[in-house]
Amino acid sequence: MIILLISALLGVALLALEIFKLRAFMMPLMLLSFMGILAGTVIQWGMSENILNQNMMMMDAFALKSIAILTILASFWLVLQHKNIQATGNGADLYALIAFSFCGALLMTNFTNMVMLFLAIEILSIPLYVLAASNRGNRISNEAGFKYFLLGSVASAILLFGIALIYGATASFDLYVIHDFIAANSTNYLVLTGMGMILTGFAFKISAAPFHFWAPDVYQGAPTPITGWMATVVKGAAILGMYRLFAGAFESGLGFFNGAIAIMVMLTLIIANGMATLQANVKRMLAFSGVSHAGFLLACILIPGFNSQPLMFYVLSYGIASLLSFYVIQSVGQQIGEELHAFDGLAQKSPFTAAIMSLALLSMAGIPPLAGFFGKYYVISGLMGHYTWLTIIMILTSVVAMYYYLKVIFAMYGKNNNGHDFADGNRWALILGGIALIALFALSTLI
Amino acid sequence: MLTEYAFWLLSFIAVFSGIATIISKNPVYSVLYLILTFFSIAGHYFLMNAQFLAAVHIIVYAGAIMVLFLYVIMMLNLNQLEVEKRSNILKMLAVASAGLLLVILSGAAHTADALHVNPNKVSPAGMVEDLGIALYRNYLLPFELASILFLAAMVGAVYLSKKNLNETQA
Repeated sequence: MIILLISALLGVALLALEIFKLRAFMMPLMLLSFMGILAGTVIQWGMSENILNQNMMMMDAFALKSIAILTILASFWLVLQHKNIQATGNGADLYALIAFSFCGALLMTNFTNMVMLFLAIEILSIPLYVLAASNRGNRISNEAGFKYFLLGSVASAILLFGIALIYGATASFDLYVIHDFIAANSTNYLVLTGMGMILTGFAFKISAAPFHFWAPDVYQGAPTPITGWMATVVKGAAILGMYRLFAGAFESGLGFFNGAIAIMVMLTLIIANGMATLQANVKRMLAFSGVSHAGFLLACILIPGFNSQPLMFYVLSYGIASLLSFYVIQSVGQQIGEELHAFDGLAQKSPFTAAIMSLALLSMAGIPPLAGFFGKYYVISGLMGHYTWLTIIMILTSVVAMYYYLKVIFAMYGKNNNGHDFADGNRWALILGGIALIALFALSTLI
Repeated sequence: MLTEYAFWLLSFIAVFSGIATIISKNPVYSVLYLILTFFSIAGHYFLMNAQFLAAVHIIVYAGAIMVLFLYVIMMLNLNQLEVEKRSNILKMLAVASAGLLLVILSGAAHTADALHVNPNKVSPAGMVEDLGIALYRNYLLPFELASILFLAAMVGAVYLSKKNLNETQA
């Protein structure tokens, strides 16, 4: 309950601070609230709370773990990006919208009712449509927001249609009732059609192929701090909610969709990694890389049994690496440019930033001592024996991914200085992220 | 007896203004006829004891959405009707899809069981009181969260349309 209250009131409190001209307190208040939520998950650990006894939300172990992970990512995002957000001069609006979307992200992890699921998805997405277009003077940002809004609302409509069909079959929004109904009638076509439509809606939200077309344009067009938020916290929340729904409530009907999900994972990995190798703009390249990671995230649903550990570890490890790399792109993009040649000789200008960027990229590529390797390892070992062909595709496409990640690292270390000046920015947060990437595997048993 | 007269009167108005919406040449008249249609449909809801639905229908459709329509028509100055030239293929497709819809609707009307409702027994579902109890008791959490959703949407709309925005953005 306390977690819910803090996250719901945070946005309102931030707006109130703007009214009283206390802008300097916004970032501390947000960080404090995130810490409060984190403390709340620790306090509630081991206790399942059915909030208000309404069978709407259940704070169970899965929900608490997911909330802790999303809060860690959100705090890290805030620590990294707060100067960039404040530099826009519209800190209050942007922070408030971020806080609202964070509230939606938390709701995505603990619903036990379809009504809550739909509300959570909308609270998560509606602020994002605005945030994607928040750089109002920029035509590309406007286009990104508009595109995201149009396609996102169609996806929400499809999802809602799916929920309506399942309601039509089971006469209930309650996930426990739906779970028992599907267990008893696993070939009810109304339920299966509804599940398929919900799958489509979610696949759009996590940008899995063939519903990924919006992602590169929106990720590239949105202001980089927002892209970082969308690629990590939002995508993580969407996949965690999807996991809760499909591996939990829909588990008996999932067999029907396993083949479709496996093909979606395959398409996502092949298309996204293939397209990423062709990009000259590093931000767009990372957008495609983000789509390819959605393939790994989606694959976690195929792991038999309700074993959420691989998914959560992947969300955390990919999230930290992604936040770091988007932060570096933000500072390089602001001072030099987003094209690949902007990174030429970055190691000479700032060995520190180049090292952190390399660490983040190598982690996303899955190089052994780093967190990203363990993330991929858990997913692949979970699928081994069940979807061996899929694991082979995962490993092959990871090799392709290595190529475009190394292209950036090569530009930073191997090319000559392009003569622009470069300042590091937020050093301590970058160091923190780098340490997290190296040390995260030690925590993998905890998650 | 009185309700039966009311039913026929409202049905006549609804069908008449519905047709008039389509055939009137001036878009503003069209919108006004549509508002009349909404009012007569709201009257039907009253007859079926769905008071809340009737009120919401008038407030939301006749009040908000139609005013928006009118506003857009007047803003864009669409008073003169411009008949677009449409290709024959498009017309044929439109006829075909409308015909399909007719087939589906008549098929559904044939096979579906009519809901047997006793008109003398007042159903509680449409009353404001029962709706309020459902909303504030069983669905309190979603209700409160919907307000967060609207707040977020409002903040977003204000942000996107604010004038004195600091445009030196990253």
